Amino acid sequence: MLLVIISGLALGGLYGMTALVYNVMYSTSKVLSFGTGQFAMVGGICAAWVVLDLHWPVWIGLIACLLAGAVFGWLSELIAVRRIVAASDEHLWVLSTLALATMVQEAMSLVWGTDPTPFPRVFPQEFAGVLDQKFWLPLLLSIAMAIGLQVFYRHSMTGKLFIAMSEDTFAARARGVSTDWMRAQSYILAGVLGALSGFAAGQLTFADFALGTALGLSGFIALAVGGIGSSVGALVGGAILGTLTALTTYYFGAQYQKTIAIGLLILLLVVRPQGLFGTTQVRQV
Amino acid sequence: MKANYLKPAIVAVFALFAALLPYITGNIYYLHVATIIGVYWVLIATLNLLVGFTGQLSVGHVGLLAIGAYAFCLLAGSQGWNPFLALLTGGVICAVIGLLLGLPSLRLPGFYFAMATLAFGLIVAELALAEQWLTNGSVGMAAPSFPAPFDTPWGFYWLVLGIAAFVTWLTWNLSRFMWGRAMVALRDSTVAASSVAIPIYLTKLVVFVFSGFTAGIAGGLYATSQSYITPDAFIVNLGIYFFVAIIIGGRGVIIGPFIGAAVLAAIPELVGPLAKYGTFFYGVILLIVVLVIPGGFGELIDRVAEKLHRREQAATRIEPDLAQLRTAIGRRA
Repeated sequence: MLLVIISGLALGGLYGMTALVYNVMYSTSKVLSFGTGQFAMVGGICAAWVVLDLHWPVWIGLIACLLAGAVFGWLSELIAVRRIVAASDEHLWVLSTLALATMVQEAMSLVWGTDPTPFPRVFPQEFAGVLDQKFWLPLLLSIAMAIGLQVFYRHSMTGKLFIAMSEDTFAARARGVSTDWMRAQSYILAGVLGALSGFAAGQLTFADFALGTALGLSGFIALAVGGIGSSVGALVGGAILGTLTALTTYYFGAQYQKTIAIGLLILLLVVRPQGLFGTTQVRQV
Repeated sequence: MKANYLKPAIVAVFALFAALLPYITGNIYYLHVATIIGVYWVLIATLNLLVGFTGQLSVGHVGLLAIGAYAFCLLAGSQGWNPFLALLTGGVICAVIGLLLGLPSLRLPGFYFAMATLAFGLIVAELALAEQWLTNGSVGMAAPSFPAPFDTPWGFYWLVLGIAAFVTWLTWNLSRFMWGRAMVALRDSTVAASSVAIPIYLTKLVVFVFSGFTAGIAGGLYATSQSYITPDAFIVNLGIYFFVAIIIGGRGVIIGPFIGAAVLAAIPELVGPLAKYGTFFYGVILLIVVLVIPGGFGELIDRVAEKLHRREQAATRIEPDLAQLRTAIGRRA
């Protein structure tokens, strides 16, 4: 039973990290990217390939995975977001990010095959039940990531500019902020964090090409439950969703996971549309 | 006006070609591809109303297609119903499920709605695999065929063609008049639409339920055309295909998505090696269309047609009809 809850919390950590990645991209561009879950997928597969197929040490795998995430994040800003944000059409970014996510997922499945492959152990540790690294690694990393992001937003110039852009892009631009480059930076950061989350949770999810879509959905539910823009909300939303998923699997079976998750999402959106920790925004007409 | 004759002429020629296709091509496989395109079109025609006209980006219609297919197989197969009754019942079931799905999710803004429908598609695929007592799990189910005149490939093709034509006619009617205007209005500006008393939520819901109904019908036809269905057939990629067909065809036109559906379905079937790259290819096309021509090929055709006609328009001058004007003013005075 303890194992069920711990594995749920670990999954929740992964979902929370995905929600944080959504937040990073949303802050500068107001885009919720369909490709968010794919960062973790690309990072996970890349690390698994470097370590297991090329037999290189784990730290090189980590670097490769972060690099892949950064490149993918930068490319997704360049290809799928920049022109769309400039055109300022509401729905087009849904389509462009969906297109990019589909392409990346298919390309990965064509190159690396469709079978989930096991992920290497990050630290030399025997399987230790509840205290195993595959549980505490994503959990601790998600908390570290949330704290790190808060510090970054509050105390670094780049972070402050992200906040400024999320408040008002035009005003930031008028004050001489290169909004295009800041947006690109936020996507690179998102790619790195997403790939890192895929690396941390690799032992939990395996390196699987289909992870991206499911994770994009779960991370989004965590985000919507917690409230867009809130780091605490992302973690809490992830933890709620992860625990609920694990308990559902334990009591009813794995086939009801998504039904329960989407039920939670719809219930919450009906009761509290801005999420648990979100702030209501008055929409301008 | 030349254009007034041109469009009906094209439609008539195409209809004749479609009706006589079994005689033109002796190849059963080409006929099968054409049938599949027709089946998809039954779904895409009304999904176009939802995505293209109303602007609700539903990725999860493949879930409704699956439910329609399984309902048809269960009712017409193991329950022994008349296939046509089963087909209609499948449509009604999907309409009800569409209503239940639409009630909460159509209140959500763009990306939330897309995610909710994506989740619905995943849930259906998951349950189809898991609920073995109902769906036979991954083993799948045999699909019954239709009675006497429609049991050959030719007969079934004509049946699909008839239903597709009927659905096209329905959507064409719906899109031209008040409903169509309301859909386009609420897509382009929800606030402006509601200020002229268009019932936003109701319009979305009716369109969604209608598209759910034909998705169910398409599901039944799809099952028969494949003659055996497994949960693998209803992956999310198929939903993305429907979606891409509409987007590249163009928002707010009917003929564009049809061409999109036909071309996208035909290419991987007819060019064998491309089948593996099908979904990747759809992603590439979607990205290019969104970036280069956001209105899709339909808009491109419109723009080209406009360019060709522009000289005529520049030459027309509107002269006031002075005599009529004078009498009109005189009558008032």
